[in-house]
Amino acid sequence: MMSLFRDPILLAAALGTSLPFLSMAIILIFTRHNQRLSASISVGSVSTSVLCALYLLITLSHAGAPIQYEFPWLLADDIVIPFGYLLDPLSLLMLNIVAVISFLVQVYSIGYMAGDPGFSRYYAFQSLFAWAMMSMVIAPSMLQLFIFWELVGLASYLLIGYYYEKWSASQAGKKAFVMTRLGDIGFFLGLIILVLGFGDLSIVRMNEAGQAHNIPQYLLTISALLIFGGVMGKSAQFPLLTWLPDAMEGPTPVSALLHSATMVAAGVYMFGRIFPFYSMSPEAMGLALAIGTVTMLLSSTMAMATYDLKQVWAYSTVSQLGFMVMGLAAGGYFAGVFHLTTHAGFKALLFLCSGIFIHEYHTNDFRIIGRQGGRKLLIPMVCMTVGALALSGIFPFSGFFSKEAVLGVLANHPNKLWLFAGLLGALMTAYYTFRLIFFMLFPKSAGEVHGEHDSHGAGHGHDDHDKEHHGYIFWTMAVPVMILAAISCVLGFSQSSLEHFLLGQGTVPAQLAASHGTEAHAVAHEGHGIGHYALLLAAVTMAVGGILWAFFEFGRKRATQEGFLRLFPKVEQLFAARWYMDAFLRRFLDDVIYSGFTNLFTRNDRRIIDGGIDGICFFTIGSGRLLSFLQSGMLQYNLLVMIAAVGVVVLYLLLA
Amino acid sequence: MNCLNTYLIIGAALFSIGLLGVLQRRNLIGMLIAVELMLNGANVNFMAFNRFLAPEPTVGQIITLFVMGLAAAEAAIGLSIILALFRRLHSINIERAQQLRG
Amino acid sequence: MELRCRSHSQTRAEQVVGLKNVSQEGIFMNPLATDSLAQIAFWIVVGLTFGGASLAVFPRNILYNVLGLALALAGVAGLYLYLGSFFIALMQLLIYVGAITISIVFAIMLSRPLHLEVPRREVPKVAMAIAASLVFFLGAVGVCFKTSWVPAPDRSADWSVTAIGHMLLTRYDLVFEVISLVLLVAIIGAVVTAGFTRRLSS
Repeated sequence: MMSLFRDPILLAAALGTSLPFLSMAIILIFTRHNQRLSASISVGSVSTSVLCALYLLITLSHAGAPIQYEFPWLLADDIVIPFGYLLDPLSLLMLNIVAVISFLVQVYSIGYMAGDPGFSRYYAFQSLFAWAMMSMVIAPSMLQLFIFWELVGLASYLLIGYYYEKWSASQAGKKAFVMTRLGDIGFFLGLIILVLGFGDLSIVRMNEAGQAHNIPQYLLTISALLIFGGVMGKSAQFPLLTWLPDAMEGPTPVSALLHSATMVAAGVYMFGRIFPFYSMSPEAMGLALAIGTVTMLLSSTMAMATYDLKQVWAYSTVSQLGFMVMGLAAGGYFAGVFHLTTHAGFKALLFLCSGIFIHEYHTNDFRIIGRQGGRKLLIPMVCMTVGALALSGIFPFSGFFSKEAVLGVLANHPNKLWLFAGLLGALMTAYYTFRLIFFMLFPKSAGEVHGEHDSHGAGHGHDDHDKEHHGYIFWTMAVPVMILAAISCVLGFSQSSLEHFLLGQGTVPAQLAASHGTEAHAVAHEGHGIGHYALLLAAVTMAVGGILWAFFEFGRKRATQEGFLRLFPKVEQLFAARWYMDAFLRRFLDDVIYSGFTNLFTRNDRRIIDGGIDGICFFTIGSGRLLSFLQSGMLQYNLLVMIAAVGVVVLYLLLA
Repeated sequence: MNCLNTYLIIGAALFSIGLLGVLQRRNLIGMLIAVELMLNGANVNFMAFNRFLAPEPTVGQIITLFVMGLAAAEAAIGLSIILALFRRLHSINIERAQQLRG
Repeated sequence: MELRCRSHSQTRAEQVVGLKNVSQEGIFMNPLATDSLAQIAFWIVVGLTFGGASLAVFPRNILYNVLGLALALAGVAGLYLYLGSFFIALMQLLIYVGAITISIVFAIMLSRPLHLEVPRREVPKVAMAIAASLVFFLGAVGVCFKTSWVPAPDRSADWSVTAIGHMLLTRYDLVFEVISLVLLVAIIGAVVTAGFTRRLSS
């Protein structure tokens, strides 16, 4: 404990991660009724975290080997599970992403949540999230990571169901919790198998042992597959993806922070965290690649069929997460993590911009927002367009560079199918993004749009809000948005320095790259070959093609704003209903689980287990009843027996 | 007549009669009376031993005095318990006081 | 039988001494009375005692029981006289017959058992009680006869009340105090159990 105060690095790590917890406790216990004070405590603690994270990043940017603080925590003969901090480039990068975006979102929320009765509660949960997420990021062992992983899930549940008086919100919170938990079961089973087979959950040692083939191959594959279940749940990958769109029931800043930028990226982060371990199991990597691809394509199609502003970004998040998983699974450690970084920036930007519109027009339908003059809100409109360009992968915005990196990795994969899937995904991303943007930029009057009625925002013109635009509420929302837009503009150019940082000497992925010459490293150098330019051209063509396509259908003057999907109503229905995944899960639950397994288990429970226990109970009760005849409550009989016994003993002693 | 065993048997008989009362009376006051008889049987024993065996004749008498004092205390407490029970059960029948029945 | 006779002869000699002592304190019993007269009186006292004891136990009317108890206690007081202690006999009359019987009478009056049902005897219960008492009585008698009672080698002959008072305030000082404390606690406890609830309930 003394070393805590002597070592500034340890102090910064401990302070940065645990201050939000303190602020949550203070808010929940003391300052619930003082909203302003609650917000300042929360924002103050998270800004301290930002400072600590930046200090750690600057101090340790040339540290080389990862710094690890471990205190033995769980000891069971030869199994030691540590508790502490692991500071390596990946965790430092993620720590900074989380801290900065948490900070911006909390500042933004001051305006967005102003006047909400649960303001203090909101900030308490935000602090809880910040604490759990940052502690998860710098966890040195998988168990600690898992604990905070679950806490992050709890924060997500609480924040999705923030408007708990709303039925759909509370249902969405439950859905998110249960679905992610489904994946976490696999995660935890994987950890158990790992402990049994390997006896250690330290991330560093796991990665090293994976490299050194100290873990039997079958064990590695099984545990890697099971742990990938956690990634599927948390990052909303293919079978478990429908919770994320529903999670948009929460306040928009929550969607920005948890359900696009940081929390859902936790799955991808964990994948990257034990990437060297994973890369030793080609089966797991292949499965991850397939699942990432399917997720990306499916959710892109879903995004084309919705008119809900936040839903579009939610589907887009799912698809981009799938894209990151593809990048990682194809062996591109840096590409995946880089895309995670840039995506966190521009997706938070998009959500926060949408939040301003939603706050202003009290509707989620972007057609209505556009018709009511959404484009007149200059700052969010410009920033949103910047975010959309970044999402579509247009030079010079950050998304361009990271998408390029991922596509480069895919291009190096022996199976070109994945590359085409990636390019198709890029096309669809650009299309649905700019479908939304053009709806808002070039609205057609209500008469031109078939059967659309302005039902939501009637009587709530933005004239009332003109004054508010210049009030603090608007600026607390606008400033974080502008900062994020600026980050999205410049982040892409830090690619090479980030790459150097992440793959610097001494880190495990670097050793991996050096010893195996895998794709991760190959891309970094091969990227300058001729093939790279062809790829670049293809990607840009896809993005621009998607935008033009969207412009043709929605943007130009005589556009019908219907989209090609209107021609295939069945397909549109399919996309809008999320490929009937929810319906399928429902049927699956009803038919297989409820009427099948549950029935059997219930019967087993009633007949055998309950019956057995009941039998024991009846026996106990019966024998007790028999014995209780002795306890007649008749004092005189008790005394009689006692005296008679004494007399008999005396007589026996006399006669013997 | 003036023999230790005579007094011992008288004491034992008194005690047994008291015991019989305690065991078969249902009236709580009757039981209390029977307990007094038992105590007297014991007292007779003490006095008999004091008379025929003890080195100092004062000891037995003092013990008998103490037993009387305790009997007075016991009677007071017992009677107050009986009164409390009577108020609760409206009866001083011992067979009604069965709350502890298993 | 031999043992019994031996103890008999010994006690006889001492009894004279004891009676002599008592007579100096002015006891009514004539030391010159014949053995036979004393014996007849003794058995009358024993008869009174057991008659009283039977009255105290067997009748179902509680008033007879109390009167029987008073009779039996008086008889025991007579036995104490025969056992050589005039003081204890007096105490027996004072405490038992005078105080305890009266308090029982009070309890009877307060609980009005005469107005309540007088349940019939259950034969099995009475039979079992008699059997248990008989077993106990036989055991006690057996012990009496089987043990060889040996008197203390040198026995003091000081039967005076002065000696009792001296002992109470010296050797048995603590016990004396404890008894008084017990009595105090018993009185307070009796008042609390019986009195407060009555006042609160009324």
